[in-house]
Amino acid sequence: MSKLTETAIDLRDVGVSFQSVRGEVHAFSGVSFKAAAGRFVVLIGPSGCGKSTLLRVIADLLPPSTGELAVCDDNPAQVRRERRTSFVFQDATLLPWRTVTQNVRLPLEVGRWKRLGRQSNTPEEMISLVGLAGREKAYPHELSGGQRQRVSIARALVTKPDVLLMDEPFGALDEITRDHLNDVLLRIWRELKTTIVFVTHSLAEAAFLGQTVAVMAANPGRFADVVDLDGRKANNEIDRSSKAFFDITSQLRNILSHASGGH
Amino acid sequence: MATLDKHSGWVLPLFGILSILALWAGLIYGFGVQRFVAPSPAGVASAIWENRTLLWNNISVTAGEAIAGFFLGNAIAIVLATIFVHSQLVNRMYFPVVVIFHTIPIVALSPVLILIFGLSPLSKVMVAAIICLFPTLVNMVRGLQSTTLSELELMSILSASKAEVFFKLRVPKSLPFLFAALKIACTTSVIGAIVSEWIGAERGIGMLIIQSTFEYRTELLYASIATSSALALCLFGIVSLIERFAIRWRTG
Repeated sequence: MSKLTETAIDLRDVGVSFQSVRGEVHAFSGVSFKAAAGRFVVLIGPSGCGKSTLLRVIADLLPPSTGELAVCDDNPAQVRRERRTSFVFQDATLLPWRTVTQNVRLPLEVGRWKRLGRQSNTPEEMISLVGLAGREKAYPHELSGGQRQRVSIARALVTKPDVLLMDEPFGALDEITRDHLNDVLLRIWRELKTTIVFVTHSLAEAAFLGQTVAVMAANPGRFADVVDLDGRKANNEIDRSSKAFFDITSQLRNILSHASGGH
Repeated sequence: MATLDKHSGWVLPLFGILSILALWAGLIYGFGVQRFVAPSPAGVASAIWENRTLLWNNISVTAGEAIAGFFLGNAIAIVLATIFVHSQLVNRMYFPVVVIFHTIPIVALSPVLILIFGLSPLSKVMVAAIICLFPTLVNMVRGLQSTTLSELELMSILSASKAEVFFKLRVPKSLPFLFAALKIACTTSVIGAIVSEWIGAERGIGMLIIQSTFEYRTELLYASIATSSALALCLFGIVSLIERFAIRWRTG
């Protein structure tokens, strides 16, 4: 597990651009940001601002075109090889021929996990942590959308990752299920003390989950503002019907609309 | 309706078959059709019984050729699909070759193979194998490439090797595609073996079909046809049964 003094995410002037038929297209540029280990960071922004792309750069799925970054004070490729980051996708991406337990165990079966000699969580522990005890032998098609996403969170946690990267994991779920899974996720985060970088386009989700909320803007993709909520959320806890929650949501909404030129 | 639904699994097809047999018998007796032109269902049934040893001796040869061809053709198809999926270069060089090869009529290919391999069953195995190859190759390539972007990203995050991606993701993903192809291949392999036997063979149900036609033994001809059909049906049943065990996770 990570030391408390460690910097989990360190981005220095990071940018990503793609070559297209019309020339170079910037997904985002000039992003500098630091997060201490154990923090819950939310990236929020409109579609096209590059938030998912940034998450993939941190995961070493995509190289940055400009700038430098470190994950847990190490280079991202090394961190990925050592399997210290985990990723949760918008669709659960479970393998349909594997049961819940077999899906959660997948990370321990590939990528030379045994040779790394790292400690892992047991699949059974993680399944009960996400609240699916009793469904171990179920196949993905027998589960609801919310349950499938719980399985994919359990799978991401089985390797005891230092950083958990989540790309709109509850984006496809109904609001009631989403609120419930937000509660579950915060409980897990408190228990495991993992750094989480969570991408969303829901203001309520960002206000509820984040200790730090980085607001991104599109055209060109960039960081518009970074809001620390430590002073306003003791222990990163907040009541969704409170005035404080309303204020945070309003503040985030204002930043977003200013950044996009008041649209 | 409830009772009909419960039994419709096998009762309805059975009634369908019986109605066609009844229609067939009605036409034969109604128009007084000569036996050597077209026999009645009862005549065919008794011909199957009377010639059971002859039919068995010949169908077992054809079955051996078809099954051997089925395994050979599909094995080659699976290996080729694996190579095609892993090498764009080989894929682009040889996929058109396979397509062109596939456009050659199988009836035209049989004499060529008989010239090379002789009248032995080996030439029939080759025809059966070739006729199986194409559908399996095309389906298997599609199946191995049916992975989604997030599945590949997942494997990449997990630092999975190429072999792990292949065996833990691509192969299981391709199984529904493979079985769709195998169900076609198991029946076409019988057709391939029979067609090749027509061109020239010492034994086999295809040879029996040709011989009984020339000798105006029409009941035996029909009995041979029914036996060939039964063989294809058996192979189809076996493949379907294996599919059910191999892809139990399917949502249906």
